Amino acid sequence: MNQVQQEYPRLVLIVDDQEINRDAVEIALEMNRLGDKYICIFAENGKEALELINEHISELSMVILDLMMPVMNGFEVLEIMSRDRQYRHIPVIVMTADDTAELKALELGADDFITKASDASDIICARVHRIIELYERKQIMTDTESDPITGLLSRNYFFVHANRMFHSKQDTPMDAVVVNIEQFHTINAVNGRGFGDRVLRELGTEIQAILSEKDGFMGIASRFDADRFAIFCLSQEDYAPILDRLQKKVDSISPTVSIHIRMGVKKFQQGMEPIILFDQARAACSLVRGNYQAPLMVYNEEMRRKEEFNQRLLNDLNTALEEKQFLVYYQPKFDIQCNPPRLKSAEALVRWKHPEFGLVSPGDFVPLFEGNGLISVVDNFVWGEAARQIAKWRDRYDFTLPVSVNLSRADIFDPTIVDRLIHLVEDNGLSFQDIKVEVTESAYADDAQKMLDLIRKLREVGFEVEMDDFGSGYSSLNMLSSMPIDVLKMDMKFVRNIEENETDMRLVNVVLDIARYLNLRVVAEGVEKEGQLKLLKDAGCDLVQGYFFSRPLPGDEFEKLIENEVRLNRKD
Amino acid sequence: MTLKELYETIDGDYEQAIHVLKIEKLLDKHIRKVEGHNLVEKLVAAEATHDPAQIFDSAHAMKGVYANLGLTGLSAAAAKIADEFRPGNSRTMSDEQVAEKVHEIEEMFQKTLEGIKAYTGT
Repeated sequence: MNQVQQEYPRLVLIVDDQEINRDAVEIALEMNRLGDKYICIFAENGKEALELINEHISELSMVILDLMMPVMNGFEVLEIMSRDRQYRHIPVIVMTADDTAELKALELGADDFITKASDASDIICARVHRIIELYERKQIMTDTESDPITGLLSRNYFFVHANRMFHSKQDTPMDAVVVNIEQFHTINAVNGRGFGDRVLRELGTEIQAILSEKDGFMGIASRFDADRFAIFCLSQEDYAPILDRLQKKVDSISPTVSIHIRMGVKKFQQGMEPIILFDQARAACSLVRGNYQAPLMVYNEEMRRKEEFNQRLLNDLNTALEEKQFLVYYQPKFDIQCNPPRLKSAEALVRWKHPEFGLVSPGDFVPLFEGNGLISVVDNFVWGEAARQIAKWRDRYDFTLPVSVNLSRADIFDPTIVDRLIHLVEDNGLSFQDIKVEVTESAYADDAQKMLDLIRKLREVGFEVEMDDFGSGYSSLNMLSSMPIDVLKMDMKFVRNIEENETDMRLVNVVLDIARYLNLRVVAEGVEKEGQLKLLKDAGCDLVQGYFFSRPLPGDEFEKLIENEVRLNRKD
Repeated sequence: MTLKELYETIDGDYEQAIHVLKIEKLLDKHIRKVEGHNLVEKLVAAEATHDPAQIFDSAHAMKGVYANLGLTGLSAAAAKIADEFRPGNSRTMSDEQVAEKVHEIEEMFQKTLEGIKAYTGT
């Protein structure tokens, strides 16, 4: 077989306690007739060699190793390398003239041997070339079949094996399990990729150990991508012990880094191919993202229906926009410090009148579209409708009712968002006070600085900014004091029980006190009863939104409220 | 004196040395280093104390180094001692014969050293 010249230089470590021996090998490699290029590094004993091997582990193509050396001999190096799988991709040629040593070295994993000075340099080079070539070919095959970090099967090969198992043992119940690491990108970013790889490796090793040692837990495993692991195994009654064991493993990696894993399971279903089983296991795993208290989810019928429903909504989005199935409703906000309370503004809320499902709750489609980045399309539609509605009411009643519109998380990260809102105002002949912008406090947790910059820009232009759902998530005083907002919208959870629960009322008073201190107006959301209204009024709350005054209304129905307000204005 | 002339003087194998080290510059570098070698000294000391492991280590190192340098006589003599003391081998020489062999190596090395000194002008 003809030997082909290598395209790029290979790094070779030459280990020998005698300088002349190191030089002799180096010059032989340098002047090889095949035209191969080598970069040589040197060690004088086994200890130095291991240090260099560890330093250059990913780029090292070969070690040429003397056996008799002081400090640490070549046999010890071979033993260490043979015990640790991370060295398996590095071939070793030993330099010896001793037959007994040759045999021992080969038994310890050496790939070939050269007889120091007596070997012709052409033979040395040919052996080095051939072994590097063999290892690189083997590596390409290994990389295709297995993940280089964990040693588990690659995704493609995993499915080749899983399909083979599925077709050959159709009656054997096999479950699909997906394991993910929470916030793995953050673990990588904060602790470095080396640490991240270690986490993956440890988790992969533990999965492999579970598969090979536990009775009845026969199966195969793969790292599909990034931090997603897949296990195809004999059906188990309970996966909690497996998840616990994997969690314990990652807990042991570092006392200072908190790592959480989650698991999704799709139980065996007669005739269902592995690829479908794993799609559903993945869906189950996604549902427990961020749920540190219950990180295990088994896919069930309800999830299947939900998935199908969600998929229909995603498919129908464009048609819905074209056919104007999205409707904008308006819920009024009343100033309750006036007597009688006066209409001050409204919030634009989207509804979807689906031809098949009827009125679809925003709770169903807003989070879904947020997750798919499609929410901006819906938001854009709502903003446009709201702006046109404000202009229409102004023209009809000579009265401008400011309307607040919601900004989704995706909008906050859109660099064109401020320009889009400016155009919206200008195109409809409005002023910047006519549209208020509601941002949700949960976006603060995603990227506080980005949100801060956006709020500043919006206020510089002249928009008023309202903090929506305050108290529904991880509210913090820090967020309140650092965000230059105008209005705080107190979540309905605060208001719901203020009549019955003294503590809740105290909490409302605290929020109102903080708002006063920060010079913010407060809108209480979800006010449904007169008693709630009275308590809020007495506590000094400025504005109220809720079913007590009105449910969200279509634009034409809302006009009655405007007409009433116009009448009161005339009386004033 | 050229390197070739040196090798004739010390009865070395210039062709073998050049075959291993390829270029005269590299051969010259290592010939000049022979004076600083303490391999023979170590062998003599080990023989004097009858330390078989140390005798083997020194002889084994000498065998390889001098073979690469084409100093075939020294390499072959060292190889005999190395084989004699290789772990697992049965001894075939008496201590006196070993001492005699080591002495022979010492003399051979001195002669080589003189030639090298003449070549380097030291």
